[in-house]
Amino acid sequence: MASSGNKSINAKLVLLGDVGAGKSSLVLRFVKGQFVEFQESTIGAAFFSQTVAVNDATVKFEIWDTAGQERYHSLAPMYYRGAAAAIIVYDITNQASFDRAKKWVQELQSQGNPNMVMALAGNKSDLLDSKKVASEEARTYAQENGLFFIETSAKTATNVNDLFYEIATRLPRLQPAQNPSGMVLVDRPADRASSASCCS
Amino acid sequence: MEKKRVDEHEAVPAALPKVDRFGFVKQEANSPDGFTRSKSASEYESCSFSGDDPLGLFVAYFLKKFRVSDAREERRIRKWRKMIGVGGNDWKHYVRRKPHVVKRRIRKGIPDCLRGLVWQLISGSRDLLLMNPGVYEQLVIYETSASELDIIRDISRTFPSHVFFQQRHGPGQRSLYNVLKAYSVYDRDVGYVQGMGFVAGLLLLYMSEEDAFWLLVALLKGAVHAPMEGLYLVGLPLVQQYLFQLDNLVKEQLPRLGEHFAQEMINPSMYASQWFITVFSYSFPFHLALRIWDVFLFEGVKIVFKVGLALLKYCQDDLVKLPFEKLIHALRNFPEDAMNPDMLLPMAYSIKVSKPLEELKEEYEKQNGKLSERVKEELQPS
Ligand SMILES: Nc1nc2c(ncn2[C@@H]2O[C@H](COP(=O)(O)OP(=O)(O)OP(=O)(O)O)[C@@H](O)[C@H]2O)c(=O)[nH]1
Ligand SMILES: [Mg+2]
Repeated sequence: MASSGNKSINAKLVLLGDVGAGKSSLVLRFVKGQFVEFQESTIGAAFFSQTVAVNDATVKFEIWDTAGQERYHSLAPMYYRGAAAAIIVYDITNQASFDRAKKWVQELQSQGNPNMVMALAGNKSDLLDSKKVASEEARTYAQENGLFFIETSAKTATNVNDLFYEIATRLPRLQPAQNPSGMVLVDRPADRASSASCCS
Repeated sequence: MEKKRVDEHEAVPAALPKVDRFGFVKQEANSPDGFTRSKSASEYESCSFSGDDPLGLFVAYFLKKFRVSDAREERRIRKWRKMIGVGGNDWKHYVRRKPHVVKRRIRKGIPDCLRGLVWQLISGSRDLLLMNPGVYEQLVIYETSASELDIIRDISRTFPSHVFFQQRHGPGQRSLYNVLKAYSVYDRDVGYVQGMGFVAGLLLLYMSEEDAFWLLVALLKGAVHAPMEGLYLVGLPLVQQYLFQLDNLVKEQLPRLGEHFAQEMINPSMYASQWFITVFSYSFPFHLALRIWDVFLFEGVKIVFKVGLALLKYCQDDLVKLPFEKLIHALRNFPEDAMNPDMLLPMAYSIKVSKPLEELKEEYEKQNGKLSERVKEELQPS
């Protein structure tokens, strides 16, 4: 690909997955190098950013960490729409979280940006003794659906940087410059604003 | 409401973590945004713990350490006690006779030692409790809930930096579990939703679990004000409506900031959904959250909009200069001076929202249907 000079790319990335799968913990590990035993549950969504250097480019991730509970589903689209990448997280000790991850994959395939780079992260790999979701099963599923698969531990930091680094290398490089926020809010209804001003 | 807890205070072990006067462990809180949970406050309450004080035993113990005596505070508390009467007997009478005095005093902050009791009086939860003897116990002991596992997963992740909730299976975690489980049985449409734990947790620092449960019922079912349950029902219909209203209020009342938000593609959902879902009990300094709750319970959700707008207004000159990323950060980490209740709340009171809120609600319903219809639509299989 392009060989001249250092490119700098902004990439919007969203984390999706079941309650307690470790979305916030993965981000916290990646962005701040920290882990807390009792991570507060996420209400709404939280924003972070972190830059990684790959080959000839630097990728600045603009990360939306979402709330995992099904009830919050209606808030999710505004975070994954227009995202360049998504990490779908499940907890390797929890089969239900894997089923939930598959649902997210389906939803992104039908509703998300078609060029989205998707990664499936089986988190809590340090809890090997209570593992419920076999690596093979997850890997096969990921392959069938064109996802990149990796098992991570936010606690021990295993594979966390690799996860984000791998996503960075897979991002389409030749995309046009994005707006500074990296956000595309298809959802943002301009008509709402105008109707508000016309009537008041 | 004798709770006979006073003696148990002595049972607290000697090696204790350093906590602030609300019982939050002193160190950087571990929320991802790096919020400091409780800042030193300008307000200070001096209270004598009487027998009917509803504080949890740990909290009461820690609070005792921070008590200071102050003559003015004592006078204030005496006035409040008179207004309430023994066990709250004179309250209703007083509110009927002098509603403006009550409103003014509540806006100045309810004395911390009376907060639990007054909250129950103004929310209407005390009446619910008296009308439903034994119901709570029934829900806790005999009923099972589909949400039990979800609740358990979140228990140690609710106020993890507060001593009362820190101990695994300790009294704080147990009562939090009971209240949330009981509610999820009581109202199966709502069940358990993340965020309710912070609301219940805040209540539990000021009252028994049964009292906290009925206050939750009073709020969600609308004993005094508009029901809050729409915040938590499928599709979060009330959250969506509030965000729409806030978005438009910002545009109307803070046009410079509204313009800047539009340019940077900032949507209120990115910073304000927790304001509504937890009524500022998540990621806000605790002393400020309490003052907001005083007013919230008496005057309703309007105060959430007012405080939100006041925060934005106070910081507007800085916010309009920031690009997207810094802006998002700033909207979740307001500076300490902005969070001073004695500055922020008077500013909030001066912002008028009632009429525009009503109009925006109508407009929203014209586009999206009434709340009950919106819920029905969500529940229909697509
Ligand atoms: N052993 C182990 N525990 C982890 C790991 N990652 C997260 N946890 C724990 O799992 C719990 C949930 O982690 P969070 O990061 O809050 O999960 P989440 O996906 O953000 O959850 P919601 O915000 O509720 O959707 C926390 O108590 C973490 O300490 C891990 O890799 N190993
Ligand atoms: Mg989270």
